[in-house]
Amino acid sequence: MIVPALAFISLFTIYPLAYAVRTSLYEIVLTRPFLTPYVGAGNYREVFTSYYFWRSLLNSLIYAAMAVSSVVLVGLGVSFLLNCRLKISSLLRTLILFPWAIPFVVSGVIWKWIFNSSYGAFNGLLYTLGFIDSYVSWLSHPFYAKMCLAMAHLWKEMPFASILFLAGLQTIPQELYDASKVDGATSKDVLFKITLPLLKPVLLVVAIYETIVGLVTFDLVYVMTGGGPGDSTSLISWYTYAETFKFLNLGRGAALSIVLAGIILLMVMIYLRTIRIEEIY
Amino acid sequence: MSLKGGLRMRRQCILVGLLVLVGCIVGSVTFGQEKIELNFISWSYGVETVKDNIAKFEARYPNIKVNYSDFSWFDYHDIAVQRFISNTPTDVMYGSDHWLQEWAAAGWIVPLEDYFPEVVEYKKEFAPYAVEGMTFNGKLYGLPYYADMVVFLYNKEMLKKAGFENPPQTLDELIEQSKVLKEKGICKYPLALCFAKNEGQSIEIFTSLVYSFKDGNMFDADLNPLFGKDGGVYKALQFLYDALNTYQILDPSSLTWGEIDLVKSFGAGNHAFTFVNKYNLAELNNPAVTNLAGQFAMALFPGETHSCVGFVRFYCMTDMAVKRGKEVIDAAGKFINYFGGKTDGVYIVAKRWALEKGLGFAQLPLYDDPEVINAINQWGNVEIEKQQASLARAKQGMTPFYGTWDIFMREQIHKALLKEVSIEDALSASAKYWNDLKQKFQK
Repeated sequence: MIVPALAFISLFTIYPLAYAVRTSLYEIVLTRPFLTPYVGAGNYREVFTSYYFWRSLLNSLIYAAMAVSSVVLVGLGVSFLLNCRLKISSLLRTLILFPWAIPFVVSGVIWKWIFNSSYGAFNGLLYTLGFIDSYVSWLSHPFYAKMCLAMAHLWKEMPFASILFLAGLQTIPQELYDASKVDGATSKDVLFKITLPLLKPVLLVVAIYETIVGLVTFDLVYVMTGGGPGDSTSLISWYTYAETFKFLNLGRGAALSIVLAGIILLMVMIYLRTIRIEEIY
Repeated sequence: MSLKGGLRMRRQCILVGLLVLVGCIVGSVTFGQEKIELNFISWSYGVETVKDNIAKFEARYPNIKVNYSDFSWFDYHDIAVQRFISNTPTDVMYGSDHWLQEWAAAGWIVPLEDYFPEVVEYKKEFAPYAVEGMTFNGKLYGLPYYADMVVFLYNKEMLKKAGFENPPQTLDELIEQSKVLKEKGICKYPLALCFAKNEGQSIEIFTSLVYSFKDGNMFDADLNPLFGKDGGVYKALQFLYDALNTYQILDPSSLTWGEIDLVKSFGAGNHAFTFVNKYNLAELNNPAVTNLAGQFAMALFPGETHSCVGFVRFYCMTDMAVKRGKEVIDAAGKFINYFGGKTDGVYIVAKRWALEKGLGFAQLPLYDDPEVINAINQWGNVEIEKQQASLARAKQGMTPFYGTWDIFMREQIHKALLKEVSIEDALSASAKYWNDLKQKFQK
């Protein structure tokens, strides 16, 4: 009964993964197609000792941290607003999903124009409000470029997180809130002792999902900054692309992919251990 | 049935049978002349002109059908490599001098003179930097699509407003004029470049700056990096650093701009000076494109030598075409000769690009063509262009690992300009990486 499903899963997940692992154990440079020796851990050694790996790992972790924290916080806040009983609640819940439905590439182009140093809307807004006296080239500064990427990521991913949190909020029994009112609980008590603990399962899902998205983000970086200026926005995903398609080294590209997968797995295990889900009714 | 009726029917049957037989023979002769399909790819520039050229080619050679696809310049290299590896049908295509080593060493493209010995005769009429850019292991791999140079453009009106009669002749003069332009409030950042990390032209612009210094070279004859403090590479990076940080005459957005972004900003009158591919001057001085058309001019590249980078993009034939057999090779040869060579004694396609789009050319006889001279002078200056072309040099270091090193070098240039590392450290790291790659590829 399960054989067809297993076959399908094997074909589209296990086989590609196994092939990637195999590729990572060979030196495969496309400009030397007839010379593909087995190198074992050689590609991994080259990756770990490369000029870019540790810096790009740091960039990726910083970016993922900014992405996850901002998406969780803002998503949670928006979900509280969406949970209010308003006549236009249904419409709002639909409209808010639009950014999430836009492909990352399109989103990257939009935000690149928003942050443009000559005609960007962001500069225009800050100039009009008097915060700056001349337009700023946000994407040419290493720190600001990271912030701009994080902002674009937040705009894109927050809607999905807020919908998940909203779904979680709506599963919390109303009786708990009623009982807390009777017991004289303050809003702060309600938030920290009822709402947030019961949202832990959703929080875990959102954190894991957004971490994965944050660590593997490539298209947004490619379109908005191209990994620059310098290597300030060059994430591991960017170098995986560069190794494979620019340097034409499939072995090292595959090794980087496997390393990235390992990092994601490690992060997921950390989340599962730290965010413990308990029945606390 | 009577005997006469039977005979008539037999005659009719024989007649019908003969007619069918003749029809089959004629049909097989007609339909047996199948068209040879050539698969051609290019990057997306002047696509309508390319398609029209293809239509004219097909009209001249009715037994050849060209299947054409175009891709963004930014992704062209990656897409071409994927096509090579996956054997996606590609017979003739655009190539570039900075990919030649990589593609030729891998056997993905083939030397034209091995299949069409007559192309060697063309070398005498091509600019030397272009011939160098299309040659690998002593063999010619393409005929020019276009050849151009990284040139120095300036805004005449801005200089006039600032009180300058002539454009700067040296980099020091450029800095001095920029300071005056800035002080007088004519423009905030007089100099702008396209130095985005993913802009392939940036290394060509940087190399041009290196060449502008006396004895300026990127590598020696043995491909050893010349990145020491007294060399052109160090001086070029020092100039950019000073322009950005010390004098603040270089727009910081240059680190995020591709060529199109730069040309838009320059064409909008935001800057007085830039270094960019020459064909952009035709667009900048086109009244249909910008309101400031006519304000922009070209001058010799400022520096001790006035030298700059000349580059060539060319039509080449792939190994896939060779494997398809003699007929396809023949068709590919006709295609490449029509587009990059002479037809009826004239370089018709190269001339069309020059007249209609202002593209540069490697085919030197075109400089004597009155139509071309007139067209260039509409937006540029043919005498300055000829003089600059005589001083242009091909890029150094063209090796299979140049592309890999280029990405690292661009990062290091950015880091030095952003003061994340010193100029010495940036160039030291670049030299070390080059030597490591060289050692690896020599194994």
